[in-house]
Amino acid sequence: MLHTIKRYWRLYRVLIAQFFKVVMQSKGDFLMGLLGFFLTQASGILFLYLIFEQIPSLNGWTLDQLIFIYGFAQIPRGIDHLLTDNIWLVAWRLVINGEFDRYMLRPMNVFFQVIAEKIQPDALGELLIGSILVIISASKGVVVFDFAHVALFVVSVLAGALIYTSIKLFFAALAFWLKQSGPFLQVAYEMADFAKYPTEIYNKGIRFLITWVIPFAFVAYLPASYFLGKGGAGVIGVECLIAIVFWCVAYGVFNYGLKGYESAGN
Amino acid sequence: MGKLIRTYLPFAANELKSQLAYRGAFYIWAFISLFGSFISYFLWMAIYGNSESGMIGGLSKNEMVVYIFMVYVTSSMVSIAISTWVGYDVVEGRVAMNLIKPIDYRASLIARALGNMIYRLLVPGIFIWIGLELYKVFVLGMAPVSVTTLLAYLLSVLMSFLIYVLFDFCFGMVAFFTTYIFGLRMAKSALLSFLTGQLIPISLFPLWAQEVFEFLPFSSMVYTPVMVYLGKYAGSELAWALGKQVIWVVLLYVLGSIIWKQVTKRLVVLGG
Amino acid sequence: MIEVKNVSKEFVSPKKYPGLKGAIKGLFSNEKVAKVAVDDISFSIAKGEIVGYIGSNGAGKSTTIKMMTGILTPTRGECLVDGINPSKSRKKNAQNIGVVFGQRTQLWWDLPLSESYTILKEIYDIPDDLYASQMEFLNNVLELRDFFDKPVRTLSLGQRMRADLGAALLHNPKVLYLDEPTIGLDLVVKDNIRKAIKEINEKYQTTVILTTHDIGDIEELCSRIIIIDEGKKIYDGTLDHLKDTYGSKRKVVMEVKNTEAVKALDLVGALHISEENSNEACFTAELDEAKNLFTITFDKHRLQAPQILSAVMEVTEVTDIKLQETELAEIVKEIYHHGTTTGTAEAGGGN
Repeated sequence: MLHTIKRYWRLYRVLIAQFFKVVMQSKGDFLMGLLGFFLTQASGILFLYLIFEQIPSLNGWTLDQLIFIYGFAQIPRGIDHLLTDNIWLVAWRLVINGEFDRYMLRPMNVFFQVIAEKIQPDALGELLIGSILVIISASKGVVVFDFAHVALFVVSVLAGALIYTSIKLFFAALAFWLKQSGPFLQVAYEMADFAKYPTEIYNKGIRFLITWVIPFAFVAYLPASYFLGKGGAGVIGVECLIAIVFWCVAYGVFNYGLKGYESAGN
Repeated sequence: MGKLIRTYLPFAANELKSQLAYRGAFYIWAFISLFGSFISYFLWMAIYGNSESGMIGGLSKNEMVVYIFMVYVTSSMVSIAISTWVGYDVVEGRVAMNLIKPIDYRASLIARALGNMIYRLLVPGIFIWIGLELYKVFVLGMAPVSVTTLLAYLLSVLMSFLIYVLFDFCFGMVAFFTTYIFGLRMAKSALLSFLTGQLIPISLFPLWAQEVFEFLPFSSMVYTPVMVYLGKYAGSELAWALGKQVIWVVLLYVLGSIIWKQVTKRLVVLGG
Repeated sequence: MIEVKNVSKEFVSPKKYPGLKGAIKGLFSNEKVAKVAVDDISFSIAKGEIVGYIGSNGAGKSTTIKMMTGILTPTRGECLVDGINPSKSRKKNAQNIGVVFGQRTQLWWDLPLSESYTILKEIYDIPDDLYASQMEFLNNVLELRDFFDKPVRTLSLGQRMRADLGAALLHNPKVLYLDEPTIGLDLVVKDNIRKAIKEINEKYQTTVILTTHDIGDIEELCSRIIIIDEGKKIYDGTLDHLKDTYGSKRKVVMEVKNTEAVKALDLVGALHISEENSNEACFTAELDEAKNLFTITFDKHRLQAPQILSAVMEVTEVTDIKLQETELAEIVKEIYHHGTTTGTAEAGGGN
């Protein structure tokens, strides 16, 4: 067991080191990707600024608080994006063109092989802007700052990243039946955008959807409001529970699909 | 003209056909691209709810509903990312292949884009559009769109389409100089979502910014046709808005030709 | 080493319709079509054998290979590779096998070959000393040194194939699967690859299964071949036996002066073929009047070339003559056309 873990870790390190070598060889591309994600997020913030030119507060939330929610949402998203970006390729390409075969031919865990194949440096754009926004809004005193909140912040970010990964994995695994599940994954992933704003602004249906079906509200808005001093710590507990349940379901579906995987050969 | 159509029509027809054949995307695309609109919708409704005056950026709450969904209809028809195709063609060495065929590469791309535009008008454009008109009349109690406004809108959209596609051609040529167009494309779409008025009406920007936008082609891509649809331009204003679009079509066409010449020169020297 | 027992594989896919109308229709229909890719195939392969697995496109070759490698699960039947069921114990089986797909690389596209190998060393958990000795051997056989530090995407097709072969052999697998290993390569490279496969087989007693369209591969490498067509096994035996049974035809091409005289010639009579014997299989004649070529294909067990030649020379002058053995390619083609109506499928080694 210990040997296996060591072996996986050693391999992961080798892959990551390789990967960074490649990134360093093409710094221009790296910066371009960073810029792209940075600008995408920045445009969201600019949007908030322009809106708050018109109104003093949105359903009781100030601009600084909304900026915190927005920034906080980027961090788990960025972590997942950094580490498991290759899942997208399963949904879009690897299964339908048979490239997925190569994972099946090696004596290692398939999920591990999939995610180990790529680190996505573009994600640093999200992590960067998320951190900047969280720090700025924290410095303005909108965030509750004590040991419990800081510790739960870390827990919440990790659980949030796991929720992201689980949702991605679940929809990518559908490719084992549909050959290509990219569009579905895309739909699910884009739902995350709803959770960047207070969920009270939506109608009941959407609120239910993003809280309990594709639970992005638990990645962004709900924990963020706890850190903003609204609501209790219980929400972080629920977030962790959801993360674990969703992970088990997604990983189960992935493994089940793997058994019925039909290589698209010839 | 007849020959022109005969030469390039197959590109448009093929594109339409292949889009229709792609079953998964057929349903999904319609659905997913509406998300942003619904987020905007709820957000704006909340904003109007928190606002003291009933007008924001010169638009009433009801007009904003029309704005949000017509932005969706318009931009889904207009923003055909031919730069993606250019990217593939570069990577697979097809641009050089195209140089030896007796057709104009850019014209073939635009024809393909036109096929795509028609597809986007059918799915889901027209359904959303009709739904919006019904909602407008029966729920919001607004007057339906007039025939003249509709015609002006369609004319404006066609030019928006040309402006976007000609611009994106220039952008796609960047593919010759960078290997990683994905990041650049994200940066582009982030900027465009702002500058075209997709995310927020341009009238909400500070005045100095609006003045700068006057000298850029982007507001002509989405904002102009939607404002035409809302009937915000009357008489000479309308003529000027459409005239500006024509100017941008011409300018971007010329710019594209210049860049294309440079690129083909490079292609001949370096091999592509 | 390998046991394949009554294995079948079916694929189910949505029905497609042609044309623009069909595309729209396809959106709303839910019809399914089942296709049998492999139909009740059995064979067993001993350690150290090199077996050619051949068949036309879509005959089910790749599907069978994929079932043996654990990528696909058989619909019915069972495969055992070194006592392991690949679809049940995928990881355990993976440690025992090496796979090369000719059209597709398993290497990391952007990394130098050396780095790809370092990763594979970790994946297969190869101890340092074993890795060093194996690298030494592979370097000699496949001459990897010339391009060892280049990114995989910059390698030529021949180099890439050598690199892929090396990658598949790094962990010294017991079984090596090669799917079209020489496709698209020039003659010199093909020859090198074949030599390398032979050497490895001799040194480690590696069992090799290869699919190919290249008859050269088979003639150079395989002691035994299995032919499948439309998912069914139609031949399993030695190459020599195949040639004996199906390759008993010979061809003599004569350039003749007078085609009219040839036309008038009664070959059956001239060759003294008795009535009960004069069936089609004995010979077929073909006359190309434009080029003055008279071609006779005959069964070498029943007729001799000089017999035919003298019969023809009695009626006209023969200016040139060419004698041909049937090539393996033609034999295989013939088997595809006629199945196993003549000869026995279960002849030779194997079962």
